[in-house]
Amino acid sequence: MAGRIVVLGEHRDGRLKKISWEAMGLGRKLAAELGKDLCLALVGSDIEGLAREVSRRSGLEVVVLANDRCRHYTPEAYCEVLAEYARTDDPYLLLLGHTYQTMDFAPTLATMLDRGLIPNCVDYRSTDGQLLWVRQVFNGKLNLEVSAKGDPPYLVSLQQGAFPASEEDLKVPPRVEQRQVGVAEGVLRRKLLEVMEAVQTKVDLSQAEIIVAGGRGLGSQEKFQLILDLASALGAGVGASRPVTDGGWLPKEHQIGSSGQTVTPRLYIACGISGAIQHLVGMSNSGCIVAINKDPYAPIFQVADYGIVGDVFQVVPKLIEIAREMRP
Amino acid sequence: MRILTCLKQVPERDSRYKLNQDGSRVLEEDLVFETNESDLFALEEALRLKEKLGGEVAALSLGSDRVSKVLRNALAMGADRAIHLKGPEFERGDAWGTAHAIAAAVAAEDFDLVLTGVQSEDMAFAQTGAVVAQILGWPCATIVMEIALEADTCRVQVKRELESNVFERVELPLPAVLTIQSGSHPIRYATLRGIMQAKRKEYRVLTVEDLGLSAETVGEVAAKVRHHRLLAPERKKQTVMIDGGAEEAARTLMDKLVNEVGVL
Ligand SMILES: Cc1cc2nc3c(=O)[nH]c(=O)nc-3n(C[C@H](O)[C@H](O)[C@H](O)COP(=O)(O)OP(=O)(O)OC[C@H]3O[C@@H](n4cnc5c(N)ncnc54)[C@H](O)[C@@H]3O)c2cc1C
Ligand SMILES: Nc1ncnc2c1ncn2[C@@H]1O[C@H](COP(=O)(O)O)[C@@H](O)[C@H]1O
Repeated sequence: MAGRIVVLGEHRDGRLKKISWEAMGLGRKLAAELGKDLCLALVGSDIEGLAREVSRRSGLEVVVLANDRCRHYTPEAYCEVLAEYARTDDPYLLLLGHTYQTMDFAPTLATMLDRGLIPNCVDYRSTDGQLLWVRQVFNGKLNLEVSAKGDPPYLVSLQQGAFPASEEDLKVPPRVEQRQVGVAEGVLRRKLLEVMEAVQTKVDLSQAEIIVAGGRGLGSQEKFQLILDLASALGAGVGASRPVTDGGWLPKEHQIGSSGQTVTPRLYIACGISGAIQHLVGMSNSGCIVAINKDPYAPIFQVADYGIVGDVFQVVPKLIEIAREMRP
Repeated sequence: MRILTCLKQVPERDSRYKLNQDGSRVLEEDLVFETNESDLFALEEALRLKEKLGGEVAALSLGSDRVSKVLRNALAMGADRAIHLKGPEFERGDAWGTAHAIAAAVAAEDFDLVLTGVQSEDMAFAQTGAVVAQILGWPCATIVMEIALEADTCRVQVKRELESNVFERVELPLPAVLTIQSGSHPIRYATLRGIMQAKRKEYRVLTVEDLGLSAETVGEVAAKVRHHRLLAPERKKQTVMIDGGAEEAARTLMDKLVNEVGVL
C-alpha cells in the first residue's frame, strides 16, 4: 500500500539493532499522529526467521527484501534493492537509524531517489501535517529545525538513543511478506574482502565502577598523566575521547564512544571532553556523570549530573589531593 | 595519481554562537574559522599517496572569501593547486547542493580519486562525499581508515571503520570517492618553506558560470532540505553546577560524590 511509514531495519548476526527498535517506536507514534500505516523493511538473504520474530514481537508487518547478493552488506546492492522498493511501494517516510551503515549507503539511496536525507535527528515537531525535524549542529552546541522540501518519500535518520525503543513482546501471529528483488551484477563495484572482528581488548571498561576520562582539553600526552593520576587515586578505569587515542596519547582500547567502547559505570568523570554525540553514545547511560570543562557551553554539560566550569589543570590536582586524603 | 581533496571551513570547535534576529543563522562576525578536522586527515592521506606514487594533489573548498585561508593552508601543507568554488549561489547548500557544485568541478577534470572528510563539524550531514560519488557515477567507500594503492593499478583497497572496534576491508575500482575518518596518520604542519612556496602555486577561482551550472542546481536554492531556525539544545538532566575556586569546587564535588551519590 502506498504512503506508508517504513522503518528500514538494520540487523547483524541474526539480531535487529536496538536503534531499529527505537525507529519503530517513533514510527508507531508518527503513524498514529499522521494516520498512516507502518511497516518494517529488512534487506538480506535467509532472514525469514528474524523477520518472523520481529513481527511477532512488534506486531508490525515485516517486508523482507531478499536477494542473495545482500547476504553481506554492500552499499550498492542495498541501494539497488531499496531504490526499487521505494519506487514500487511509494512510501511516505523512510526511517533509519543513524548508524555507520546508514552513513555508508543512505546518502546514495537518497540521491538515486532524487531526494534529500535528513540525518541524525534527535526530535521532531509536527505542525499542520508538516514534520519539522530537530538535528544537532555546530558540534552539539545548537539544534537546527529542518523540513524536507518537495514530495515524499522523505528519508530521515535518527540519532541513537534519542527516541525510546518499543521493545515489548506482543506475541502476535507474525505477518511477513517475502519479496525477491533483483540486483544486477554490474551494479556491484565495491567488493567486501574481509571483516576484522573486534579483538578482545585488554582494557575492558565495561565492568569498571568508576571511569575517569580525558579529552583533547588535556593538551598533550605528558599532561594526560593527570587523568591517570586521578584514576589511580580513585581506583578507577581510564577512558578517553577519540582525539586522545588518534593522537597516540593512549592506546585505542581506552576510547569511549560509537567507534570505541560503550560503558555504564556508576560514576563517569569527563575532563576536557566537549561531549560530541559520538562520545556521548558510549557513556551517557552512566549512573552519575561529572563534567569538568572550561567552556560553560560545552555539550557535555547537557548530560552531566554535576558540572564544574573550570580548568582541568587546577581542578583535577585538587581532586587527586582530596582523593588521596580519603583513601591513603 | 591525480587526487582531489575537499576541505570545508568550519567555526573553531570552542566557538560561542550568537544568532541573527530570526534565529535562522549564526552571526559570523565574532567567529574564528578553521579547517574541518577530518578533511585535514583526508589531505594528509592524499599527500602520502602522492609521495608514494607521484602525481598531484588538488585542494578544493566551496565558500566565500574567507575559505581562502583553508586553501592557502592546504597549499602550504603540500597540495599542488587550489580550486575555490566561490559565489553567493553556492552558499548555504545542503549536502545535495554542495555535492552538485563539487561534482561539476570534478567532472571538468580527470581525477582518479576524490577524498572528503567523514563529516563536517558544523552541519554534520555526513553525506557530501557519497552524494558526489553518486552524481558522478563513481563507487564510494565511507569512514576510511587506511588506503592501500599501488602504482599502475585501477583498483584501490581500503580499511573501513565499523562500529564498536570492528573493521572491514573493501576493494573498489578507480575513479572513486573515499570519505576519510580521523586518526589514520598524524596531520603534518605547514612549514615556513611550504608557506613561501604556497604563494607561487596555482589558485583558481571558479564561479557557477565557469562550471557551466545554472544557479538553481546548487546551494540553498537546490537544497532538498529547508532550514528553519536554530535553537539552544534542551538539557536532558538537571545539572548541579558547582561554583567557587578550584579548591572549593573540588571539595564540594568530592563531598557530593561521597554523601549524595554514594559512589566513593
Ligand atoms: C563517525 C565518527 C565516529 C566517532 N567516534 C568517536 C568515538 O567513538 N569516541 C569519541 O570520543 N569521539 C568520536 N568521534 C569524534 C567526535 O566527533 C569528537 O570529535 C570528539 O569526541 C571530540 O573529543 P574531545 O571532546 O576530547 O575534543 P574537543 O571537542 O576538542 O573538546 C575539548 C574540550 O576540552 C575543553 N578544554 C580545553 N582546555 C581545557 C582546560 N584546560 N580545562 C578544561 N577544559 C578544557 C574545551 O572547552 C573542549 O570542550 C567520532 C566522529 C565521527 C565522525
Ligand atoms: N563547502 C565545502 N567545501 C569543501 N568541502 C566540503 C564542503 N562541504 C562539505 N565538504 C566535504 O564533505 C565532507 C562531508 O561534509 P558533510 O556532508 O557536510 O558532513 C566534508 O568533510 C568535506 O570534505
